[in-house]
Amino acid sequence: MSSYGVNRFCRDCLHDAGLRELAKADPAEALAPYGLTAVESADLIAGEVGQLFQSGSSGFLLSYLTRWQLFGLDVPTYAERMRAAR
Amino acid sequence: MARIVAGIGVPHTPTFPSSVAVDDQSDETSRHYAEVARQLDEVGADVLLMFDSDHLNTFFLDNLPTLSIGVAAATSGPNDGTPGLRAVNLDVPEPLAGHVRDVCIEADFDVALTQDFTVDHSVLVPLHYLRPQGDLPLLPVFINGLVPPLPSSVRCWRLGQVVREAVLSWPDDLRVAVIASGSFSLEVGGPHINAGSVFGVPDPVWAERVHGYLASGDFEAIVEHATRAQLAAAGNVGGELLNWIAMAAAIEAGTPTSLQLQPKFGHGYGFWRLDG
Repeated sequence: MSSYGVNRFCRDCLHDAGLRELAKADPAEALAPYGLTAVESADLIAGEVGQLFQSGSSGFLLSYLTRWQLFGLDVPTYAERMRAAR
Repeated sequence: MARIVAGIGVPHTPTFPSSVAVDDQSDETSRHYAEVARQLDEVGADVLLMFDSDHLNTFFLDNLPTLSIGVAAATSGPNDGTPGLRAVNLDVPEPLAGHVRDVCIEADFDVALTQDFTVDHSVLVPLHYLRPQGDLPLLPVFINGLVPPLPSSVRCWRLGQVVREAVLSWPDDLRVAVIASGSFSLEVGGPHINAGSVFGVPDPVWAERVHGYLASGDFEAIVEHATRAQLAAAGNVGGELLNWIAMAAAIEAGTPTSLQLQPKFGHGYGFWRLDG
């Protein structure tokens, strides 16, 4: 169920520039309202998108994070980690 | 009485508006869209009915309809910040949309009612290229093509047939063009993306097969082979083919007037002219 929170956060980033800025400045604060597990929060902050996908989060939504390189996720890094989840 | 004068199938790649100009004959993608746009102009449509898969922008996982129809006076977008798309307001033919939904419900399709909504690039990229003036009313029929479990191909075929019955039973003299928005094989952000990209075409063979079925008008084969497993193998947005299936049923499609495959993108551009 809490993968919903990861998905919601990614979707909200697309629509909320303030949230994106907060995610860069204070990731833990940005994630606090989303009800994530400790593992999910740690994985997001570490940019471990392959782990998050394997735990049920949407790859489609996770890929939004590359648009602003949140959590260190540029496109090559994202692709490498997500492809490793095959 | 309303008539269906054309069927159209096109992709909605969100990077196109910022990288591909409208009607640029030097660009393959622009040429394909322009060829469809030219034919749409020729048939003189009054209304565009679009089968579309929202990308979790109009709807989200908190309340996700498998099928829905936009029944409102107007809509707007893009609601997802797609670069290169201008903000547009579009009329929705509300009485016709309500009629289509009524007929669907009467035919045992539990189509959700959506009365206050905006639309994302999956609707507006096609319109950006096919009707940049944005002057035709849009009737959106949303099919979940992204979040498993997807509706079956058989069900979407039947939905298209019912939508056809609804349009043809509408008393006003309208010329309706039916559009399908989406790809045949595409992965966005999932494990089957290409290295160094957030996109990939996981099943180019399937895209070629779909192209072949469309070219020969063999929709029975498409419906038979577009199983949930096959659509999943085609990528995490491979379910967008369901929009093409519904469109084909709605227009009682035969062989297309024009059809172009773009293998590198896993999608195609088709036009069925029905006003002859």
